[in-house]
Amino acid sequence: MRKIAALYGGSSQHFRSLNEPKYRKYYDRLIYLPDLENTSLDEFDALVVPSQLHMGLVMKSREKIKQFAEKGGIVVAFGPQPREWIPGQNWELRPTNFWWWLDKNAKSGLVLQKPDYDLFSYITLADATWHQHGVYWPPEGAEVLISTEDGGAVLYVDKVSTAGTWIVTTLDPDFHFGSYFMPATERFLDGFLPWLAEGNV
Amino acid sequence: MDQRTDFLMLDSGCCFGEPRLKDPNYQDFFSFIDVYDLPGHDLSPYKCLVITGLIDQELLYKQKEQIRDFLDGGKVLVFSGNLFLPWLPGASAFVPKEIRNHSDYDVTIAKEHPIFAGVQTYDMTYNKGVAGFFARGHHPLPDGAEVLLTLPGGEPITYIDRNSTKGTILVHSGNDLFGYNHPGKSTGRIALQLTEWARNEYRQLQEPQERGAYA
Repeated sequence: MRKIAALYGGSSQHFRSLNEPKYRKYYDRLIYLPDLENTSLDEFDALVVPSQLHMGLVMKSREKIKQFAEKGGIVVAFGPQPREWIPGQNWELRPTNFWWWLDKNAKSGLVLQKPDYDLFSYITLADATWHQHGVYWPPEGAEVLISTEDGGAVLYVDKVSTAGTWIVTTLDPDFHFGSYFMPATERFLDGFLPWLAEGNV
Repeated sequence: MDQRTDFLMLDSGCCFGEPRLKDPNYQDFFSFIDVYDLPGHDLSPYKCLVITGLIDQELLYKQKEQIRDFLDGGKVLVFSGNLFLPWLPGASAFVPKEIRNHSDYDVTIAKEHPIFAGVQTYDMTYNKGVAGFFARGHHPLPDGAEVLLTLPGGEPITYIDRNSTKGTILVHSGNDLFGYNHPGKSTGRIALQLTEWARNEYRQLQEPQERGAYA
């Protein structure tokens, strides 16, 4: 079982999605974001960076997070992350497709690119389907697991930019679970966190 | 005082809050400060403090005396969101609604009030035919609170508390009420009507003190 820390920004959404007992058991520690600068990450295998953190504070600690990855750590970034703090981050903001499912012949526009990746032993594409706020165009050598139909990355894994692993997604399941909204986001977290803790990342 | 700056909104610093800072609808009367600049910030120029559900409540909890002092100066505070820490006088933690059917989200006007005058409950409950955006739970009431909106089980979505401090607190358990400013739906009236209400409320709170000075 990997030792996982999560950043905690103090909003009600962060509080709920991190402290829900079935998720809290995967986090060895919650680090209050203003304390991150003075907190050692050395003991952890993975760091979860939630949606909707204070961007200024995240930017202040971007070197620290990068150093954590350079030592082999796994960094998870839930979306959207419009500030550039992820190595090779190439974010394209798109209008959020809130309403695709009301259309006739509804298509979410999501494509499962790597069905054999171990994450999909834990979640299905449907569990990752609600809406996207944009796409990433990841660095060469990164593996895109879920994309839009035009190939923009909705979830990718980057093992080339640093010595560690970056799991980067435009999806924001933690925000919606923390807002008591959208059941798919709960199914995503139900599978994603056990995968992060014990799966083949 | 400068009418442009009589409302202060705390900025969460997160990306969902960012469009607010540039939205022309807010520029006429809102000042913004980063939430981490609240400690030590002089709140005396403001009539109304606006706090949204994206804000760091751990910080608000540390600043609860500052918030209480602001209110005891006969000021107005509008909070929209889900409370989980006891930083707001009289208020209790958010209780999520157990949802079995989309009609469990139906909004009812408990009491006619200028903030929601002319606003259709359908427009509050539904967005493109989908329910659940407006409120998904409630905060238990402080003594003597005035309830404006409820969910079908009578749970108060929106209340006004004039008893817990010498000021007035409005608590709404959903998204930022000042965000309802888009024409085309009756909910677009809320932001302006809320602004007028807050200014009137402030005037009434200050009146006894002003009268007292000449008594």
